[in-house]
Amino acid sequence: MDQSDNQLIAAALAGSLPAWDALVRRHEMRVYNLGLRLLNNPDDALDLVQDVFLGVYRNLYRFRGESQFSTWLFRIVHNKAVDLIRRRQAGPEIEDWFEEGTPEPANNLPGPLDSYLETEMNQRISQFMSRLPPAQRLIVELKVFQALTFEEIAPLQDIPVNTAKTRFYTALKNLKAMIEAQT
Amino acid sequence: MSCPHTPEIIADHCDADVPAEVLQRHRVHLDTCWDCRQELLSLRGVPGELLRWQSIPLPDWDRSGMVKSTSRRKTLASRSYQWPTIGQWLPLVASLLLAVAVMTQTRLTIGPQGWSVSFGVQSAVLSAQQLDEYLTAHANTSQTETREWVEAALQTHGQTTADSIYQWMTYIEQQRALDVQRMDAGFEQLMNRDFQTVDSVRQLASYVLYQEAP
Repeated sequence: MDQSDNQLIAAALAGSLPAWDALVRRHEMRVYNLGLRLLNNPDDALDLVQDVFLGVYRNLYRFRGESQFSTWLFRIVHNKAVDLIRRRQAGPEIEDWFEEGTPEPANNLPGPLDSYLETEMNQRISQFMSRLPPAQRLIVELKVFQALTFEEIAPLQDIPVNTAKTRFYTALKNLKAMIEAQT
Repeated sequence: MSCPHTPEIIADHCDADVPAEVLQRHRVHLDTCWDCRQELLSLRGVPGELLRWQSIPLPDWDRSGMVKSTSRRKTLASRSYQWPTIGQWLPLVASLLLAVAVMTQTRLTIGPQGWSVSFGVQSAVLSAQQLDEYLTAHANTSQTETREWVEAALQTHGQTTADSIYQWMTYIEQQRALDVQRMDAGFEQLMNRDFQTVDSVRQLASYVLYQEAP
């Protein structure tokens, strides 16, 4: 039977290495994929995973179980991602993107090259994301991929709810322009 | 964007937790606002495009590496019971002891000539009476010593020749200079001690003037 996050945390705090390992394995993929979308680089995404779980390990004794572990984890993920984005500042400005890019091959039938196309799709999406300004990139990640509400996003970014909504709308418009330019 | 409601409508359209009454208000607005309708139609597919993302598994990495490196300093289990050590309490205890010592050794004295703050035990304070006693004892000792000098000088230079008178006078002068030096040393000791009133200083000064007067 799967143990809950809180049970794994209690065991990890008591010194159980397998419990810590299980806790990391349960959440690492979500963090890694977030890193891929935000940083557009597998090495940077793995750096983010390591940074995040090192931060979690060091601060695990502070987790009181008052909120869900995933919510608490996501605060750390958000802060570490903001730091990494600032350090990397990956990608050219949004205007530069319209001059490059190759059209996606039109193929709606299932086939042996689907995995290749999936990789292509991921690359396209992470390219779109990386060409957004960091603040817009984060809000799209939090809203679309992490399904947070604007009431949850606003305090994470330290902005009013209405500002979060306007920022999200602007990001969608930018993404729409990129998608149209690509096709 | 020409309508100020567009960002809120687009954002709420992507939020599953928006209350029904808010959605109803948006529907009413969309019935009459062509700009918002066009923006909603244009952008509604964007989140779906992004959600075509296929989750990618992580490459293998050392999940317990951080545990090994961090446990050299402190383990998770020990972090959960963080009692302050004696070493952490020592500075506070030392500060408290010092504060108590200062408070118990400080004394405020209010007299007819004002107030004064002194630090130290009672014996370190020199009263006017003690000073008088000291000066009287010192004067007696000096008188006795002078008498002894005169007697010794008379024995040594008993003949009343001009030379012996001169030697006697020189001897007396030397002894007087020695006496003044001793007085200086005595005052030095007195000054090093704590004394209470300005009167004490005045008495000292008067005494020095008296002793050095020709």
